[in-house]
Amino acid sequence: MSTTIEAATAPPLPDEAPLADDVRVVAPMLTGGRALGLAPVSGATWAGAGQIVLAAAVSLAASVLLVTGVALGVGLVVLVVGVPLLVLTLVLARGYGAGERARLRAQLGVVVLPPAPGPGAPYHPRTWWPWLRDARSWAAVAHALLTCLLAWTAGSVAFSLAAFALVVPAAPFAGRVNALHLVLLVPGAVVALWLAALVVQLTNLAQVRLTRTLLGGRSRAEAERAARAAEQRADVAEDRAEHLRETRTAAVVAADEERRRIERDLHDGAQQRLVALGVELGVARRTAAQDPAAAVAAIDAAHGEVKEVLAELRDLVRGVHPAVLTDRGLDAALSALAARCPVPVDVDAQGVGDGVGPQAQAAAYFVVAEALTNLAKHATATRATVRAAVDGDRLRIEVADDGAGGAHTAPGGGLDGLRRRVEALDGTFHLVSPAGRGTVLTVEVPCAS
Amino acid sequence: MRIVIAEDSVLLLDGLTRLLTAEGHTVTGYRTADELVADLGDPAADLPDVVVTDVRMPPTHTDEGLRAAVHLRGLHPRLPVLVLSQYVEQRYARELFAADARGLGYVLKDRVADVDDFLAALARVAAGGTALDPEVVAQVLARSRRTLSDVLSPREREVIALMAEGRSNAAIAERLVVGLPAVEKHVTSILTKLDLPPDADDHRRVLAVLRWLEDGPTNGARP
Repeated sequence: MSTTIEAATAPPLPDEAPLADDVRVVAPMLTGGRALGLAPVSGATWAGAGQIVLAAAVSLAASVLLVTGVALGVGLVVLVVGVPLLVLTLVLARGYGAGERARLRAQLGVVVLPPAPGPGAPYHPRTWWPWLRDARSWAAVAHALLTCLLAWTAGSVAFSLAAFALVVPAAPFAGRVNALHLVLLVPGAVVALWLAALVVQLTNLAQVRLTRTLLGGRSRAEAERAARAAEQRADVAEDRAEHLRETRTAAVVAADEERRRIERDLHDGAQQRLVALGVELGVARRTAAQDPAAAVAAIDAAHGEVKEVLAELRDLVRGVHPAVLTDRGLDAALSALAARCPVPVDVDAQGVGDGVGPQAQAAAYFVVAEALTNLAKHATATRATVRAAVDGDRLRIEVADDGAGGAHTAPGGGLDGLRRRVEALDGTFHLVSPAGRGTVLTVEVPCAS
Repeated sequence: MRIVIAEDSVLLLDGLTRLLTAEGHTVTGYRTADELVADLGDPAADLPDVVVTDVRMPPTHTDEGLRAAVHLRGLHPRLPVLVLSQYVEQRYARELFAADARGLGYVLKDRVADVDDFLAALARVAAGGTALDPEVVAQVLARSRRTLSDVLSPREREVIALMAEGRSNAAIAERLVVGLPAVEKHVTSILTKLDLPPDADDHRRVLAVLRWLEDGPTNGARP
């Protein structure tokens, strides 16, 4: 099964056209070839001319309105009414921006993505200050002024050139024109016509770039930063999911191995002893009449068997889950472990247990149990300490000894199973055991587990 | 009798050795299946009267004993083998009894505690008979694709279960506390109803009964 983290996938980059795309759409003659040859009659030129005319009209009206609003607002700031007036102007500027984006789309087929919305409806003074600081709204005001300047200037130049180019063919009918004039004027008219188209297309290119910059959405750099951040979040989430998958599998494996160990212990221990016990009792019954002495010996052997089976079952049951942990808590359970260890063990677990979940307590108990078993078996230690403490929301257990060191978590071994158990609880497991310098096992598990 | 035992539990091996020695048998014990096979694997080996082997033994603690039993039976088809197991499974029984049921036993280890029963089963296997654990028989009966209750009376169902364990008519009579003629009458009735050869001897009729139970309902059954 695979886990997909939907929310963390990177959003697609905004469809922000690079300069080359804008050139292709609104100033195709710059690309040369056919578009250059047919520039005066191309759709881009005529749509562009229309755009300039409308831009000149719209931006002039908008500039007058917005500049008046800003001037009045600034002038009246001392009378307080200036502030809402400024805010209103900025809201209108935003509206102008939306209109401009729609106009460019309709006239040139250029899509400019909107910026993040403004600071909310300005009904409450609380929103006024954010509005006054809203860079995108002020940029819309600037856009109106710059568009006004661009459209009127470039528009005048373009229409003058076009007018010149159209007047020249009429010149022969006006008389007083000689061959020299024609030789100069006709190429001049042709050049003027192409220059007019060039001015129109360049103006539109400038207009589109201006609109993208001042009225557009977030910049490419911003979008890339956001995408990178989203990718990083996705990576973190993926790593986390991978970790959870691994530890979950490991937990299942560990539980399975534990069940198999219990089955083996029961099979090799208690079951065999009980069968042997049955044989002894069967022999006793069979021989009771003829050979009472043999029967008594068999019963004695059976009695010994029963006691050993009980001891074995007691150990086994404690290994499955220690009753003292449930009844008396972690401190008592750890002390009981220490008492059974052949090596002297200092236990410091005062008051640990309140607020520590049963899984965390059980993990702590079995970590200490396994560590002490290993220590008794291999470590040639003379002293050991067990410390359990709650540190924030983590239960921290440390088992240290002064033995031979060199302990490691062999796959399938007891320590390895415990490591997986701890990791399944989102805990950490550190084993430091340099040869000849003792062993320190540190385990942390979330208390809540 | 000369008896060879392969059993990894020292306790049980000791107990069985003491029990069988007290019965007057000669017992040789092995702790692993490998030792058993090493000793009896030679085609010219001096064979004991019966081999008793545990299923689960070192080194892998899985089914070494069963495989050793099958292997030894392949070498010495007449060698009586009694397999003891902590668990009995019909699947294992079928592997073991695949070729022949003569001189073969497969019983739950716990049965050893019923000393008289165990000794009887051992003697039966050593004499070339069959001993199949009641639990395996119960599994076969439970999983049987034929419904015995349609065919047999309750008493006959008891008798067929004991037949499947490999018991002789006399042993069945003793177990059910009835006379031998009554058992013979039930057995004849069962064999007739199931359309099985009436003259089959004990071990052959075990296989006949088991095969009848495992076969599908259309195959030779008479309502």
